[in-house]
Amino acid sequence: MTTPTDKPYISLPRCIVIIPARNEAQDIAFVIDEIKKYCNFPVLVVDDASTDDTIIKAREAGAIIVPLVVQLGAWGATQTGLRYALQNGYTYAATMDADGQHLAESLPALLQPIISKEADVTIGTCTRRGSIMRKIAWTLMKRVSGLRLEDLTSGFRIYDRRAIRRLAAWQATLLEYQDVGVLAMLQASGIRIKDVEVNMLPRRHGMSRVFYSWTSVIYYMSYTLLLSFTKRGVKHHQP
Amino acid sequence: MVALITGIIGIVTAATIVILIRRDHLHVRYGLWWVIAAIAFAMLGLFPALFDNIARYMGIAYSPVLALTIGAVILVLKILVMDIERSRNAIRLHRLIQRIALLESDLREMQGKPREADPDEDHGELDDALHK
Repeated sequence: MTTPTDKPYISLPRCIVIIPARNEAQDIAFVIDEIKKYCNFPVLVVDDASTDDTIIKAREAGAIIVPLVVQLGAWGATQTGLRYALQNGYTYAATMDADGQHLAESLPALLQPIISKEADVTIGTCTRRGSIMRKIAWTLMKRVSGLRLEDLTSGFRIYDRRAIRRLAAWQATLLEYQDVGVLAMLQASGIRIKDVEVNMLPRRHGMSRVFYSWTSVIYYMSYTLLLSFTKRGVKHHQP
Repeated sequence: MVALITGIIGIVTAATIVILIRRDHLHVRYGLWWVIAAIAFAMLGLFPALFDNIARYMGIAYSPVLALTIGAVILVLKILVMDIERSRNAIRLHRLIQRIALLESDLREMQGKPREADPDEDHGELDDALHK
């Protein structure tokens, strides 16, 4: 077990960790505890209309709770967190999955390029993960969208204030997933995105919210490819 | 006889729209579209010669083809407009849901009272509606 004393502990003002969660009562407390070992950031859990004890467990672990009354999906929940960050004047927002895949120990590595003004958004990528099918899907999505990023689907990211403002806007509400649409929107606004290679663990419990059935995979791929194609080369005004 | 039937269908449709608006089952702005469609339907049904003339003017030998083509195009456009409105409404609904969650979080923080999960709260119906 690691402790804050033997690992780099980040103390940065105005940074918040956003965790979208749906029925993650089994893991949420563990995830929050891990984050608190590595940084002093407030942890915001956006509960996506869970039917289990996610809210209670997260609150007991010391998180701020934003409870959605209706399920909006992972991106809808994340955007709610970004709106919270914008309203409350946070300069940076980190997003992490609630299933324990993302390691809090990677936060310093993700923050570094943003603090040094090398990038406005960083994505924790783990290209080793994923099946062959997933890799084929990534390649296809990259080709069609023209995005030059390693891991388009990773939800382990850090956004700076400008990116938060851009993504909290209503245009981003139309999106269903946080990958191509979100990244294309950021890139079209001149926001610099950087991949940072990190370690990731397999899910502790449950299953993916995107890839839970063949129908969902087909829908996801059709949706993403259409979005990738239609958003290619779109330019937004500077936020 | 066919002209009479299509004419009657148009008139009945128009009357139904008026009743739906009167009973607050249909927004006036949508009702307007349907009333116009119903009137056009009735006119073309009652006075088919009108359409024959238009078709002849456009160089179409068989006038029902023109009627069906125009009808299909208008329906497709209407459905497209409906989906644009659905998209706009979905954004509004999502933003409202997010706003409620943010306000609830603020409120609980001010009151210092944790929100307990309510197992009786039914999310299913709205979830389905949102993700259709």
